[in-house]
Amino acid sequence: MLKSFNGYSVLKDVSIQCSGGEVCGLVGANGAGKTTLFKILLGLLSADSGSVKINTSHSKPIGGIVEKPSLYGYLNAYDNLKVFGSIQGLKIDKTTAQQQLLKVGLSLDRIDPVKNYSLGMKQRLGIAIALLNDPKVLILDEPFSGLDPLGIISLKKLILSLASKDQIAIIISSHIVEHLFKICDTLFVIKEGEISTYAPTNKVKYAILASNIKESKVLSNYKTLFDDDRVIVHIEKDKLVDLLKNLLQEKIKITACTPIIDMEALFEKSVL
Amino acid sequence: MMSLIQIEFFKLRKQKRTFYALGAIFLIELIVFVIAYFQGGAILDALLSTLKDTFYFSGKLLNGNLLTYMLLNSLWFHIPLILMIVISGSITTEYQDKTLQAVFLQPVSKWKFILSKYIVGIVFTIVVVLLLAITSFSFSYLFFGKGDLVVYLGTLNFFDSKDAFQRLVLAFASGTVSMVFFSVLSLTLGIFFRESIKTWIVAALFLIVFNLLSQLDMPFLAMNTWFLPKLNNTWQYFFYFDIPWIQIILHLLILCFYIFITLIIGVRIFQKRDIG
Repeated sequence: MLKSFNGYSVLKDVSIQCSGGEVCGLVGANGAGKTTLFKILLGLLSADSGSVKINTSHSKPIGGIVEKPSLYGYLNAYDNLKVFGSIQGLKIDKTTAQQQLLKVGLSLDRIDPVKNYSLGMKQRLGIAIALLNDPKVLILDEPFSGLDPLGIISLKKLILSLASKDQIAIIISSHIVEHLFKICDTLFVIKEGEISTYAPTNKVKYAILASNIKESKVLSNYKTLFDDDRVIVHIEKDKLVDLLKNLLQEKIKITACTPIIDMEALFEKSVL
Repeated sequence: MMSLIQIEFFKLRKQKRTFYALGAIFLIELIVFVIAYFQGGAILDALLSTLKDTFYFSGKLLNGNLLTYMLLNSLWFHIPLILMIVISGSITTEYQDKTLQAVFLQPVSKWKFILSKYIVGIVFTIVVVLLLAITSFSFSYLFFGKGDLVVYLGTLNFFDSKDAFQRLVLAFASGTVSMVFFSVLSLTLGIFFRESIKTWIVAALFLIVFNLLSQLDMPFLAMNTWFLPKLNNTWQYFFYFDIPWIQIILHLLILCFYIFITLIIGVRIFQKRDIG
């Protein structure tokens, strides 16, 4: 995909792909081209060259939120769903609306205009609208910005559930890697309009903290780096559980296990 | 398409701005009634004082027909301005609140969406002028009674009560076409500027310039016939003693043509431009 505004190249030969049931993250600094790419994917902007291919013949192949959820502030949640449903020929009755709202963790109890909603609630309603007519791809631009920690956790759960249960291909952008790392299967790093790195998130370093960590024999099978009570292990995400089980069997007193994301290295194409 | 039109009506109905606009129109009516009730007689006497030296006036000239004619004259500026604000707002607020982006994240045809806005704008305009006409006649006749109408258009014309009523009804009908033109123009300006304030300023400028140019006589008859600002006061022609029917019909047909062209330009701009 290529896109420029007034001669300035915003996207330079960008290619990304995402399969059904997969969560892909697009990480990049402000102005890297994330939103422009999403607007092109969603059909709001036309690319100078390149194309978007979605392998479905569904009437609504793609849904999403760009920048922030844009809702009719003077309408309540039900009326918003009704408006966005009706314009695409859907009949939205109270039951359908309730199901759609429950899916994203909202209820129909609130009958006041959505301008009174918190940002988290607006995000959820935005997702409910994006999910109308069952799109096969969902695009969420900076969905965590402005949310409180509980809102972030809750939204992450919702995203994972949509990918695993409904087999939706989800592409999320953020400039905060930690948010994406925990829920994404693949991370694309966009820098100055180019995809500088992309890789699955399952190969990463983890820091394991335990007072007797040096007694472990299992760790000798892995590439490690010891530092007092801490060890840094290079391991695939799906093999981590087995390693932790083995460490517990060795009576290693684990107090913490966290992934290590080297932001600078990530942006310099080295970690993943 | 029908569901898009229904949703546009639903949005219009749910917005406070619509009711503020209707409230403003009725407030103007109320002010005209109050002024006419307390000072109308004195103003009319002052206006006709020179004529009273030559002519003998019998009956009540400050009557419901004259009041309705005064309210009809709000089609010069007040009504089109209010209509332009409301109708251009139906698209500019969608640009500014970015709900337009959210709309086009759904599988919606661009031309059908914008055409439904034009259709709703036109219907709203017709309803507003109809309401204005109904309330003008009702309240004018209720508070001021019926009577002959005196109108000054170059010459002083007198119409008996029944004739005046018919001419006023036809003038409202003709004025509706002018109001539709301004509404369609404001929506096209809204599509072009994508911002409320700029659109309102340009719309008001159009209105003022059109009113000024409507007094300008072009050197050739054909130019006068096709000169847009001169078409918007066609409703005034019903108050010439002999109604120039052919001229009125021709003007209204040409005005409908301009409405169509303005609408097509708006749809084309909207279709060609990226939403993001």
